[in-house]
Amino acid sequence: MSTAAPRAPMDSAVVVARTREDVVVGPEIVRHRRFSRLVHWTVAGTFFLGLLTGMPIWSPIFGWMAYFVGGLTVARIIHPWVGIAFFIAILVQFFEWRRDMRLEPWEKDWVGPRVVRYMRYDATADDPRTGKYNGGQKLYFWAVSLGALGLLLSGLLMWFPTYFPRWLLELAFVIHDVTFILFAASLVFHIYLSTAAEPGTFGSMIRGTVTRTWARVHHPRWYREVTGEESPRRP
Amino acid sequence: MSLDIRRSSASVWGSHSGMRTVPTVSKYVDTTTCIGCKACEVACQEWNDLPPVETHQVGTYQTLPTLHPEYWNLIRFNERDFDGGIVWLMRKDQCMHCDEPGCLEACPAPGAIVQYMNGIVDVNPDQCIGCQYCETGCPFDVPRFSKTTGKMAKCTLCVDRVAVGLEPACIKACPTGCLHFGTKEDMLMLAKGRVQQLKGNGFAQASLYDPPGVNGTAVITVLAHGDHPEWYDLPANPHVPWGVKFWKRIVRPLGIIAIFGAIAGAFAHFTKYGPKEARGTSDKDANLPPA
Repeated sequence: MSTAAPRAPMDSAVVVARTREDVVVGPEIVRHRRFSRLVHWTVAGTFFLGLLTGMPIWSPIFGWMAYFVGGLTVARIIHPWVGIAFFIAILVQFFEWRRDMRLEPWEKDWVGPRVVRYMRYDATADDPRTGKYNGGQKLYFWAVSLGALGLLLSGLLMWFPTYFPRWLLELAFVIHDVTFILFAASLVFHIYLSTAAEPGTFGSMIRGTVTRTWARVHHPRWYREVTGEESPRRP
Repeated sequence: MSLDIRRSSASVWGSHSGMRTVPTVSKYVDTTTCIGCKACEVACQEWNDLPPVETHQVGTYQTLPTLHPEYWNLIRFNERDFDGGIVWLMRKDQCMHCDEPGCLEACPAPGAIVQYMNGIVDVNPDQCIGCQYCETGCPFDVPRFSKTTGKMAKCTLCVDRVAVGLEPACIKACPTGCLHFGTKEDMLMLAKGRVQQLKGNGFAQASLYDPPGVNGTAVITVLAHGDHPEWYDLPANPHVPWGVKFWKRIVRPLGIIAIFGAIAGAFAHFTKYGPKEARGTSDKDANLPPA
């Protein structure tokens, strides 16, 4: 058998992707099992609702967003609860993906100019050591997890202002604001890179699978680990 | 008096939208002639149809420890030991109606807090979303959240009376002449005269509390011990909190630019570089079997 698929060959990739990931099924590789995708979309959904209910409170130029939930008062009432749901989803996602997201020493330069080279499709930004996630994705994961904690803590202060000293509240407002801005701006690129910029990526979060070529181009070491091609050593 | 609007929360429009020229009004509070009769407290409750609020014993004659969503005017009975014995430093705790209101700046709901042309700062319950941001914005700790209405409440400076040419209820009720109401100009004149008089009577530190940090207030207070506003539970130098200014005036505009910039950046990137496509990376290249 040329594939490492553990199931009977008649199982399609979608069926395999319900419970397993990092396995090859015919021309496809299962990248995200169903639970992983569900967690991701719960994070996305609650965050989107958070944007829809938070941004009209942030600035009147986004006031129109409040109409989707029934007005600014409704937005104000549900925003904190959406925030709680978002944090719980992030927490589950954190434990689901934490192991794959450990930053390796050689990936540290993703913090700097490597991102620029990557965005220019510069071949020097590619590395055959790139595993299931590249350095940029890993950094984004840690930033999002930490940012969610910042949003939660500052948000709780803003929710119950009477119980905290004024200077702390002022700090909370600024932290909530800055964190949200970083979230929103980086989310634009998260969505852009996973759809228009890098075709074949979006399917990994919908169907759960990617093509072999996609895996070899974007995540060479993961490709080798999963397919057993070249050096079939797995940890 | 007019109800034209000078400033409105979370609104671009509202700055000097009034057509009529109206003077800024002010209350005048002379703490030295207050006898603590609480007639102003009662008048406030009565005019504003506020229910009786259960009092709390705080060790003095003060009605409540602090302002309350249904109690907008509270005389603070601050006691102070001097050589001659204990002295009451009574002070009228209420919304100060700042010329530069921190509550209005912090408020995210369009039109929920307005400043009329005559300087009165008012909460509009129809627009208030009960987020309590104004609590953080207020340098005098005045706005209170009402659990019954889910909205903020505070002194309106009896805008409904002032608008038809009447003085605020508290002023009307004061028996000693410690409270007056009129144009800010007139009240300043009155206050300055009183401060001079106090200085002549041995209160060398007497002064007028009309804090410049918020560009003055529409409630001006004569203090016998003007060098110690904290004795009256007044902040020495109130201003719109730095955190609120930083958040609203710097972080927010930069954030809006950053978000739209990111969207524009993604589009620009796609125009210049296009998709990072290697043959065989797309789903459609995989020749997928039917799911």
